[in-house]
Amino acid sequence: MDKPSTRQAILVYTLLAIILIVFMMPIYLIVSSSVKPSPIMFQKPPAFIFPVTWEHYVDLFTMRPFAKFIMNSLIVALGSTAFSVFMGSLGAYAISRIRHKRINDVAFWILSMRMFPPIAVVVPYYIIFKTVGLLDTPLALIIVYSTANIPLTVWLMKGFFDEVPTALEEAASVDGYGLVETFWRITLPLAAPGLAVSAVFCFIFSWNEFLFALMLTGSEAQTATVAVMSFWSSDAVQWGRIMAGSFIILIPGVIFVLTCQRWLVRGLTMGSVK
Amino acid sequence: MSAITLRNVVKRYGAVQVVHGVDLTIDEGEFVVLLGPSGCGKTTTLRMVAGLEDVSEGELSIGGRVVNNLAPKDRGVAMVFQNYALYPHMTVRQNMEFALRPMKLEKSVVDKRIADTAEILGLSPLMERRPAQLSGGQRQRVAMGRAMVRTPKVFLFDEPLSNLDAKLRTQVRWEIGKLHQRLGTTVLYVTHDQVEAMTLADKIVIMRDGYVEQVGTPEEVFAHPKTTFVATFIGSPAMNMIDGRIESGRMVAEGISFAIPARYHVSEGQAVTLGIRPSEIKIAASDDAGALDARVEVTEYLGNEALLDLRIGRHEMVAEVPAADRVEPGRTIRVRFNEAALHLFDAQTGKTLAL
Ligand SMILES: Nc1ncnc2c1ncn2[C@@H]1O[C@H](COP(=O)(O)OP(=O)(O)OP(=O)(O)O)[C@@H](O)[C@H]1O
Ligand SMILES: [Mg+2]
Repeated sequence: MDKPSTRQAILVYTLLAIILIVFMMPIYLIVSSSVKPSPIMFQKPPAFIFPVTWEHYVDLFTMRPFAKFIMNSLIVALGSTAFSVFMGSLGAYAISRIRHKRINDVAFWILSMRMFPPIAVVVPYYIIFKTVGLLDTPLALIIVYSTANIPLTVWLMKGFFDEVPTALEEAASVDGYGLVETFWRITLPLAAPGLAVSAVFCFIFSWNEFLFALMLTGSEAQTATVAVMSFWSSDAVQWGRIMAGSFIILIPGVIFVLTCQRWLVRGLTMGSVK
Repeated sequence: MSAITLRNVVKRYGAVQVVHGVDLTIDEGEFVVLLGPSGCGKTTTLRMVAGLEDVSEGELSIGGRVVNNLAPKDRGVAMVFQNYALYPHMTVRQNMEFALRPMKLEKSVVDKRIADTAEILGLSPLMERRPAQLSGGQRQRVAMGRAMVRTPKVFLFDEPLSNLDAKLRTQVRWEIGKLHQRLGTTVLYVTHDQVEAMTLADKIVIMRDGYVEQVGTPEEVFAHPKTTFVATFIGSPAMNMIDGRIESGRMVAEGISFAIPARYHVSEGQAVTLGIRPSEIKIAASDDAGALDARVEVTEYLGNEALLDLRIGRHEMVAEVPAADRVEPGRTIRVRFNEAALHLFDAQTGKTLAL
């Protein structure tokens, strides 16, 4: 390709700027509203310069055990991510390596579980968890989220495992390694970008999920997303606290994605086979 | 104890049979080369020995133990793959260390073995590189090194030299031979290069289409090929073949009759194929009654020798003559076959008629 001309560059950067503004606008509104005094919150035109206040954040943590809700969210999201990536990788590896003409049907069947409308199963889940006494526990959410995350991980990881040449596993087996060790030391490290991608998707889904968290938890296992909405009641909407809570909810996701990003490298298997 | 025995070993992929009942004994410390054209089942046979392919039928034993159902890791073999199969996320050194780890050796032993192997293969300056940062030939040497460090009882090579340039190929070939002499390891070596086979092998196994055509020392397969396939496959340029018939106890082809060497058993009227190596076709005097007319089509100068592409009757043949005797293309000369060096095969079966 030729070097882009100056005009092309201007065009590209203008487009990027527009996209960036569109995507960053809600985040700007969250951040600015979370430190805006309540009386001027809905002033028109919006105030861009205003006295910064931390009262919404203080309220958030003093009026409600918000730290505990964040903790719940973390437990649920990390727990489901770890479990799903682990189970999903094993399933994906099997599907990737088994030579059988119907294996793709199995793979599709697994993915199809992800296509189920969640709301259809909320009530059955409620009844099941009530029966076994798991209502309002993080474990209930971990289980529910994993049923959505595992199929996704299976599909993502299958693609990455397909890329790892079987010759490498054969070499390891001749070198004296068993199936488990070969998988652990050769196949999985070479599919690391897949693990990162899967983990990001699982974490974000579990972290942001609202419907199941609302229905299946009470005061004990409530997650941050549900907690934020509790500032919305019929007689008053406490926008400042909602915004402050929303901003805090954004942070772990960003940190998690940035952490995983360094594993997102291409061409890991380059040079292995002719 | 590292002899390898294959008894009627068959490999099938679904309904397709690609290896048909191979019988082969490889003695302890022997260097055996599987030689044959592309797709004849060399790699498949090697992979069955390594345990990477199931044996569909028959019995495979290593060191007196039947290993049909033994996992590769428990067979005590090292293998150099045709496509290298280097661990891309490890450096050259780590690749070798990884191969040694299951042996649970002391660190000093590991380091010494790796250093020695790297030295032999000229890998010392490359030890901290990853496979992606190496050339094809360097990768091939790493693949060899990774197998060599283990000093296994049985060594399996799948065309380990195919990607090296001529000079390196000769050098590494020599190293492999030396290594074998020093370690006395049993080696099964796959190649389609007959020079490698001839120079390295104690015993050559020539395969075609999943069948073993002949097993023998390099001398045997060269001097006494059992089939026309072996006869034309071994030796460069290839052996010339002419159709003929046995008449009055002599072999007649192109209107010329040849005495039949005593080692052949023929019957009157039998259709035969006559084989003659290019070096056994001599330029004859013009008045030689037992000679054939040959038109020189092309002359190739090779330094010491020259190759003459000849047309004799309706046959194309190649003669190898001293370079000084080479002839201008287009001329017709008289040539004589060295009758003592004739090979006779049954025209139908392609099998030798030697007793
Ligand atoms: N997995 C497979 N399924 C079906 N057929 C196969 C499979 N692997 C190999 N074959 C067939 O088996 C035959 C022997 O293959 P093999 O790889 O052993 O040949 P080779 O002698 O090593 O050839 P080359 O010199 O090209 O490496 C070929 O005809 C090949 O098409
Ligand atoms: Mg092969």
